[in-house]
Amino acid sequence: MAAPPTQIERGRPAAPPAVTQRVRQWGAALGMPIASVLFAFVVGAIVIIVTGGDPVLAYQSLLCGGFGASCSGTVYPALQLSETIVNTIPLILTGLSVAIAFRGGLFNIGAEGQLIAGVIATTWVGIQFGTLPGFVLLPLVLIAGTLAGALWGGIAGVLKAYTGAHEVVTTIMLNYIALYLLRYLIVAGPMELKGQHSVSASIGAGGQLPTLIPSTAKLFDLPGAVYRAHTGIFIALAAAAFFAFLLKRTSLGYEIRAVGQSQRAARYAGVSVSRTIIVSMLLAGAFAGLSGAVQIAGLRHNLTDSYGPDSTGFDGIAVALLGQNTAIGAVLAAVLFAALHVGGQFMQSNANVSSHLVEILQALILFSIAANFLYSFRLRLPGLRRARSAAPTIAEQGVVAVAPDRGPPAVPEPDKSGSV
Amino acid sequence: MMTPEVTNASRTSTSAEEPVAVEMRHITKTWPGVVADNDVSLIVRRGSIHALVGENGAGKSTLMNVLYGLLKADSGEIIINGKPAHISGPRDAIALGIGMVHQHFMLIPPLTVGENIVLGREPVRQGDVYDIAKANADIRDLSARYGLAIDPQARTGDLPVGLQQRVEILKVLYRGADILILDEPTGVLTPQETSDLFQVLRSLVNLGKTIIFITHKLREVLEVSDRVTVLRRGKVVGEVATKDTSEAEIARMMVGREVLLRVDKAPAKSGPVALRVEHLMVNSEQGLPAVRDVSFELHGGEILGIAGVEGNGQSELVEALAGTRPVAGGRILLGERVVTNLGARGTRDAGIGHIPEDRRGAGLVLNYSIAENSILGRQRQPRFSWRGLVLRLSAIVGWARRLITQFDVRAPSEETHVKALSGGNQQKVIVARELASGPRVLLASQPTRGVDIGAIEFIHRRLVAQRDEGAAILLVSAELDEIRSLSDRIAVMYEGKIVSIESPDVPDERLGLLMTGGSGRQTQHTATA
Amino acid sequence: MSVIMGFLQALPGLLQLTLEAGVLLLLPALGGVLSERSGVTNIAMEGMMLTGAFFAVVIDLSTRNPWIATLGAIVAGGLMALIHAVVSIRFHANQIISGFAINIFAGGLTAFLVDKLFNESGGTDHVAQGARLPYITVPVLSNIPFVGPILFQQNIIVYVGLLLLVVINFMLFRTRLGLRLRAVGEHPQAADTAGINVYVLRYGAVIASGLLSGLAGAFLSIGILNVFNPGMTDGRGYIALAAMIFGKWSPVGAFVACLIFGLGEAIYANNSSIHISPQLLATLPYLLTLVVLAGLVGKSTPPAADGIPYEPGAE
Repeated sequence: MAAPPTQIERGRPAAPPAVTQRVRQWGAALGMPIASVLFAFVVGAIVIIVTGGDPVLAYQSLLCGGFGASCSGTVYPALQLSETIVNTIPLILTGLSVAIAFRGGLFNIGAEGQLIAGVIATTWVGIQFGTLPGFVLLPLVLIAGTLAGALWGGIAGVLKAYTGAHEVVTTIMLNYIALYLLRYLIVAGPMELKGQHSVSASIGAGGQLPTLIPSTAKLFDLPGAVYRAHTGIFIALAAAAFFAFLLKRTSLGYEIRAVGQSQRAARYAGVSVSRTIIVSMLLAGAFAGLSGAVQIAGLRHNLTDSYGPDSTGFDGIAVALLGQNTAIGAVLAAVLFAALHVGGQFMQSNANVSSHLVEILQALILFSIAANFLYSFRLRLPGLRRARSAAPTIAEQGVVAVAPDRGPPAVPEPDKSGSV
Repeated sequence: MMTPEVTNASRTSTSAEEPVAVEMRHITKTWPGVVADNDVSLIVRRGSIHALVGENGAGKSTLMNVLYGLLKADSGEIIINGKPAHISGPRDAIALGIGMVHQHFMLIPPLTVGENIVLGREPVRQGDVYDIAKANADIRDLSARYGLAIDPQARTGDLPVGLQQRVEILKVLYRGADILILDEPTGVLTPQETSDLFQVLRSLVNLGKTIIFITHKLREVLEVSDRVTVLRRGKVVGEVATKDTSEAEIARMMVGREVLLRVDKAPAKSGPVALRVEHLMVNSEQGLPAVRDVSFELHGGEILGIAGVEGNGQSELVEALAGTRPVAGGRILLGERVVTNLGARGTRDAGIGHIPEDRRGAGLVLNYSIAENSILGRQRQPRFSWRGLVLRLSAIVGWARRLITQFDVRAPSEETHVKALSGGNQQKVIVARELASGPRVLLASQPTRGVDIGAIEFIHRRLVAQRDEGAAILLVSAELDEIRSLSDRIAVMYEGKIVSIESPDVPDERLGLLMTGGSGRQTQHTATA
Repeated sequence: MSVIMGFLQALPGLLQLTLEAGVLLLLPALGGVLSERSGVTNIAMEGMMLTGAFFAVVIDLSTRNPWIATLGAIVAGGLMALIHAVVSIRFHANQIISGFAINIFAGGLTAFLVDKLFNESGGTDHVAQGARLPYITVPVLSNIPFVGPILFQQNIIVYVGLLLLVVINFMLFRTRLGLRLRAVGEHPQAADTAGINVYVLRYGAVIASGLLSGLAGAFLSIGILNVFNPGMTDGRGYIALAAMIFGKWSPVGAFVACLIFGLGEAIYANNSSIHISPQLLATLPYLLTLVVLAGLVGKSTPPAADGIPYEPGAE
């Protein structure tokens, strides 16, 4: 009917529109996380100063310990990097777990429990079928862990979809159940290794992921066995790529995002909200379960009683939030938090600042994200209200937002059918 | 069902020498882009019931919100009992003896009636202990004095709506209100509860209270009010004593004849029946019957307009036809095929397009791009996704670009987030999406609400063009001009039923009356050409 | 037979521990009830309790006065809560993330300070016996067979806790303040139009939850124990959250739930006499909460406006 618009809205220069918009979007997306991180570091520096430390030295140690950069003295940068990679791997995966739930409008605090479920399943399968060759056992253990995590997440999803039980509370409960289940199994329990305390047998050699640096090699004067970084990194990155593909390029991902943005629009589009909630939690659990599986296959090879309520699963929440619930964001944020974790140890020994500062930094990042997130349109975080798939309201969607501009805000509640 | 001719002889009129309780002078209130009240003046005498009437968007609630202090007028003055008043918030209004009973009750369901009434002014004993005994005693006093029986210990959430409203009224009286504002009080009441309410209002007035009530129901205006002020589009178009007027006259004032956006259209070439609705029953969100036994036929090549005041079942009708609301009874047939309760996706795949009335809530995902929104509801169709699983991005982009071009959507690119578009362009995206899919039947609900003139004309032209290509279009709109200028036939809906099917030349008074429950020939049509 | 005998012999001690553990959970649970009843979601009890525990020990070590130390713990908990309150109410932040961040912040801060002040020994010094919150043996009553030791031989804070239970329950349901608090949590707009200050009430409730959690922390670190170790609250804050939900946001209901969970904890600690795997037993409170949440034991609905920042005029 009409010719295409000859002048672009608001008289912007006629650069290829998609590109300028992309750049602007990226700028806006990066601004908030970077600001949050800076804010955290500034306040952290104040804490260090107040407790009699040297923030410059402390942060330099963080940098060195995390990335092997600007180190002085006898430090092995490659070793530090290797450790950072080791820590990055599970964080990427739990970050993706939390992120996909957020995209679907759900708050997955249960990544830890789902990870534990994965750890248990992986180890059990890896022991039971330990004699199978690698090309069978490895995929088998990884799948086992992923499925176990999916199941654990699915429980919360089903509860939410059919009873409205809020996933924040149910996943917290499931975390503890998983934790005690693990302890039951390996503390004088069925999976405890005879003659040992609170450890299980190791999974078969076929199920173990090779390290990046072969143990027989030598790198920078250190034997290869010292470098723990393993090929799980590729799995984690592949998972991130899958995450991005799923959300952007599949109809399921489209529907998950739609439900997370607007349940009403999703319903209009014929999407079953309860089914999507369950699928989202299954996927979230799967990513976290895979995280556990990769940890066993690549790092520990057996069960130990080293999981507490504050661990990778919870860090995953920070990773997802800082990464704005995207794949690339999760990877970058995971690297950051992993580096902080590893660097923190170094900071403690080198600058005499407790490694627990890292937790403080993490909390500060979360605070600023929590307070700022109104402006981050991607987050759409849910609140703790009982939600049913039946009657949607703004509150039910949990959109903690400024009043949507539906025109004149008539107080009391505006109603479409009311008079103005 | 015939409504009896209402006589005004039964009313006791108020003497014109009663002092003026409320005077609002030259009140103007605007929102960005919309003038809600334009130089509105109102005089209400003490001891009278004054009705404020008008269509949706006329400015009635806004005016009363200004009086109650919930909104601040841009200009104008308010004079209460002869003294100029500065009302900056409800507290000021309450202090002046003004009380408001809102359309949506401000009641807290888990609390008792007594607690709800005294909240904010609770009687206490020593130690901040809430003095239930005194509260109940006070409430029983009030109840007796005004004839509003209620049990202070009852749980508010368990009460029927009529009694809940009574609690709202008591709340207002408890705070010493002499001037009561009631906003659409009968919208949620049964006929019996309505007549109970009117009795209450009359007795309040006999005790010296002043009542202003907002409504769009003409019958009630004549039944209970002393004077009527009619608003249309923010202006006062009439102010009369109720005994001197009639339903017909008020209807004419409310609806009026405006500069119509007449679309040039050829007469309809109505084809075979595309959609047949048989004895449809649909419930509202609250579980109450909203569509009660509606039957009609929609032909290809015609536009059937549904006229009616919002809240009479039109929304639920469209939602049921679109598959987003379950059908409680009856059938929907698309051609020969039964499509009742197929769900939104099934209905859409069968060939029924839907322009939803809630553009921003349901019709679009605001944070999605135009391209992503262009396939909303069709994301699993083969042309947009491989095996319904993987999206065909290039096909989607191509589709979106075509929509943007054909429907003149002003946006930098198909990747622009829909949130950034103007209301008119957002609506164009939805209209484009639904029309370009070539539906056999199109459900268009408030298609030009909140949209600028240019976009309105455009959308109207496209709808007619679609009709000319053989589509069957069901148009629901609160804008009578739109219904008139687009429809080939007009069905009037009132209280969940189609009360009449008229031609587009139906005179205003008749249309207004039918829409507002007025008297008139009321027959239910099942099938006409 | 001997299993049953063993069980019966252990029972009084078990129940005594149950009451103690129950009250330890009750205090933060009451805080949660207040906060959520006013409409602010609060999952930060864990962090506030940990903070209280830390400051109780530190202050006690320097003043050797458990009462001042407890006061300090209470204030510390309140300050933590204030952060949550400001972020949630003033900045309209997502209350779950905020609560979560408090927990991480408290964990990191306390561990950091322990490292700083106690040379990375993994914990603080021990508090002297005389500087702890005392256990009380009520004369005469504590001699009643079976019941005596359970009810009348407890730490002073247990009695404080029970008193608080009565007071808070009374306040919530019988006073004007409680009525307004509940109104604000159910329908803040209605409360606002009735002239009630929504913000003040919410701030007060959240801070109160911090005070109560801080008290619980002191109870733990200088009453039951005599030291602070990082992470010593060990998830009790989350169990208190579960108890609150389990108890359907009522103080008495929460108390019953706390007793049940307390029993679980007592059994876990005393597992020699009960021959069920302590780990599996420990899952019980969480399983039970899931059951309640799933609506299998009646509806569990939070206050209607819980978790939604109040914006006048918004929908």
